[in-house]
Amino acid sequence: MKANEEIVTLKVPAAAEYIDLVRLTLYGLAVKIGFSYEEIEDMKVAVSEACNNAVLYAYGDLPSGSTVSAPDVAPHIEVRFIKQTDALSIVVKDDGRSFDAAAAAQRAESLHGKTVDELQAGGLGLYLMQALMDQVQVNSDAGTEVVLTKRLLKSGELA
Amino acid sequence: MNQSDKLFLRTENKEGKCTVFVGGELDLESAAQMRAVMSPLIELSDRELTLNLRELRYVDSTGIGILVSVLKARHAKNAPFVVEAVPPNIRKLFDMTGITPFLLKQAGQA
Repeated sequence: MKANEEIVTLKVPAAAEYIDLVRLTLYGLAVKIGFSYEEIEDMKVAVSEACNNAVLYAYGDLPSGSTVSAPDVAPHIEVRFIKQTDALSIVVKDDGRSFDAAAAAQRAESLHGKTVDELQAGGLGLYLMQALMDQVQVNSDAGTEVVLTKRLLKSGELA
Repeated sequence: MNQSDKLFLRTENKEGKCTVFVGGELDLESAAQMRAVMSPLIELSDRELTLNLRELRYVDSTGIGILVSVLKARHAKNAPFVVEAVPPNIRKLFDMTGITPFLLKQAGQA
């Protein structure tokens, strides 16, 4: 940890009903840091999408009826909010199955320029993360780690 | 957590039109509740189906995915589907993902 960083860590069960808790924490922190309402809305959606992926894909492939793969500890998502001098980075980490980040990035596309028949309900999550944040980085070594970064532009500051 | 704490759905049938008022948060947690309400309504191809989003505070890609599914199902039946009263923060996400013209184009059809 660098001297100018402050970190808040939240660890929640990897279940859909805890994702709004992550949003609430983000909201409180982002207000304290001085982000605008619109920037906070952007970050809320992006961080939720990262958590959605952790809940849906990282732990969703345990074979049903299997007796050996049931984990001793219920799966969790760890969210680290790292406040830097000029940005907020949100690290969403799970210990589940690593997913193919490169393949996922290729599937991440919007609905622009498609016909109704070509529309697909999936693949919008990663697209939204990329569209809403200044930087999105996906690391998949042990589990998956998504790093979302939003730069802080203080009002009144000269660009 | 009680599902109804989070997503509020009210269906109104009037003069051959079916309107679903959607309020609260439509996300991964509440998606199943939304799908359960929508799936029988999708089948009613003789009625115009409208989603009123005035009270919707939050939507994520799961919620937008449901809209895409409804849109496609209604399109396949050649049945009208309209989305109205979209709040600005929700509209921004619709614009970003590119779903807006489909919702507006549908709205423009008789």
